[in-house]
Amino acid sequence: MSDIDVHHLAAAYALDALDDHERAAFEAHYRSCEVCHTDVSDFRATLTQVSSAMAVPPPESLKDRVLAEVAVTRQLSPAVVPAVMHIDLAARRRARTVSITLAAAAAVVAVVIGVLAFSGRSQSTYANDLARVLEQPDARMVDLQNKSGTAGSFKVAWSKGLGEAVLIGENLPPAPSDKAYELWLVTPQQSMAMSVLDPATGGNVHRTVKASADPSAWAITVEPKAGSPVATGSIIYVANV
Amino acid sequence: MGVLRAMRARPHDVDGDELDAAGNLLRRAGRGDQVSFAELYDQLAPMVHGVVLKVVRDPAQAEEVTQEVFVELWRLAARFDGTKGSARTWAATVAHRRAIDRVRSEQASRDRLQRDAAHVVREHDTVVAEVESSLEQARVRKALGQLSDLQREAVELAYFGGHTYREVAVLLDVAEGTVKSRIRDGMIRLRDELGGES
Ligand SMILES: [Zn+2]
Repeated sequence: MSDIDVHHLAAAYALDALDDHERAAFEAHYRSCEVCHTDVSDFRATLTQVSSAMAVPPPESLKDRVLAEVAVTRQLSPAVVPAVMHIDLAARRRARTVSITLAAAAAVVAVVIGVLAFSGRSQSTYANDLARVLEQPDARMVDLQNKSGTAGSFKVAWSKGLGEAVLIGENLPPAPSDKAYELWLVTPQQSMAMSVLDPATGGNVHRTVKASADPSAWAITVEPKAGSPVATGSIIYVANV
Repeated sequence: MGVLRAMRARPHDVDGDELDAAGNLLRRAGRGDQVSFAELYDQLAPMVHGVVLKVVRDPAQAEEVTQEVFVELWRLAARFDGTKGSARTWAATVAHRRAIDRVRSEQASRDRLQRDAAHVVREHDTVVAEVESSLEQARVRKALGQLSDLQREAVELAYFGGHTYREVAVLLDVAEGTVKSRIRDGMIRLRDELGGES
């Protein structure tokens, strides 16, 4: 699927006609793509009209069964959007208590890989990268746990077989002045610097990096703007694998 | 929740009254109002059951899935955001997805592929025949009629057959890329005919 144009999957997505991998790839893409977002909304509304034209009343008895189940079914709370906050010192102190030590074992010199080769790619290249990774049989995707108390989220999708990882950061606050975010692939032996992320104005970042090691965790720290070969800052996002 | 976020802000609703009514009922249901939810059920159940039945086909299973859909709508009612799409579209999206989940186990998918391969042509006739009588149904039938045969077959096999576009490519014996563009072209045409609003 490497040459796929992800923008063109909106119709198939609205029809629920994508397989699971493509669906995950498209969902990761379209939330931040205005064009696809509009297409999906429009297509869904169109399909609602088609569905309305197919209306078939269910048997009368179903209503009572539905209402009986509803009466004993707990409702979820409204989704609350967290307020945007800056990374504060207290949060950093809390983050230091995270059990993974990035400045890890053996002080192996970390390897900075792929940053230059992969920087500056376009949105659709990112989506294609993500689709390619997710299509691998050994593909995995994790949400990083936010340790900082700030807004924003990170996901990492990777395939060891393919040797690539795609980082998806959304709704991020800007990094503190003179600082940047840095992604780490953590193994029991070492922490490898994957990429320096500098969302000066916050928002969304996507990055594809070479990653052929088996991660035991993914983590993001705050580092000097130029990046750091070993992690020095506190962990603000982390996922154990 | 994916479905919720998938709905985008709409500046206006064409059929504002009816939609606002459903949206308001859903918002009240989100605060635990079971009476409003019962009213919402009356408004949406024929559509939800219709699309589920179309996909699942077995009446007993369609009833089960319809029940699941409404319990899901109840659970998530507080997360409904009317600025991101109408309540009716939200219900249709949840209903279709649930129906697809029901039929898309590997075995079921193999069976459907075999069955549908034998009935591609008749299936299309059936769908068009069922779209009748009311003004809206006539509009939808006319819009479906504007599609080329292959666009319509591809869209219907995907939406009502519950097939992925790759499976549709096998059924129609055309390249995957061709099916993708037919589905896209067909949906754009339908949208232009019907408008995006529900
Ligand atoms: Zn797009």
